[in-house]
Amino acid sequence: MDVNALVAQSYAASRSATLPEQSGATQTLFSAAESFAATLQKSEATAMQSMTSGADPHALVTALAQTELAVQTAVTVRDRVVEAYQEILRMPV
Amino acid sequence: MTDFSDAMQVASSGMKAQANRLRHVSENIANADTPGYRRKTVGFENVVNAGQATGEVRTGNVRLDQSALTRIYDPSHPLADDSGSYDGSNVSLLIEIADAREAQRSYEANLKMFDQVRQMSSSLSDLLRK
Repeated sequence: MDVNALVAQSYAASRSATLPEQSGATQTLFSAAESFAATLQKSEATAMQSMTSGADPHALVTALAQTELAVQTAVTVRDRVVEAYQEILRMPV
Repeated sequence: MTDFSDAMQVASSGMKAQANRLRHVSENIANADTPGYRRKTVGFENVVNAGQATGEVRTGNVRLDQSALTRIYDPSHPLADDSGSYDGSNVSLLIEIADAREAQRSYEANLKMFDQVRQMSSSLSDLLRK
């Protein structure tokens, strides 16, 4: 009985350690994701405009190049995060 | 990333300005035989946003070249005056071709800068991948 109570207590204590942390890092990630989505949206709008109403081709090329770089960065960062996560999962317990 | 995208914007504005300049050069060449046509020139100016220069460039107002028009002798021409000659345009094809070539070279320089920025930014994110 005593052991059970102790186990339950330490389990409850260790659960809080795995809860997601609400910190400044989350906010930074959110704003990064938002600016990434904004870049994508801008380039889509420019591409659509240049196809329909013949907008400036320079603006299209600039927007597409910026989107390419943003996607490249996002993919690289995602790969690194997933890799780090897998590294933690592989840790011998 | 902002320096990279700013550099891209600046290079793109340069290309836009050179394209606009080339447009006016081709207008001049197309009107080389138009009587009374004065060649158009455009100047470049800084783009100022909220009182601060952004580093971008754009073409300014169109100005007309005030040099003398060429007198062309052709008594059968409807515009010919008493002396049998009329005012042609003041477009010199040699100057226009030189201007077009200069616009092309500047465009290429801006294009090179654009590509350079792209390569630098791409190799920076390649560094993360290894």
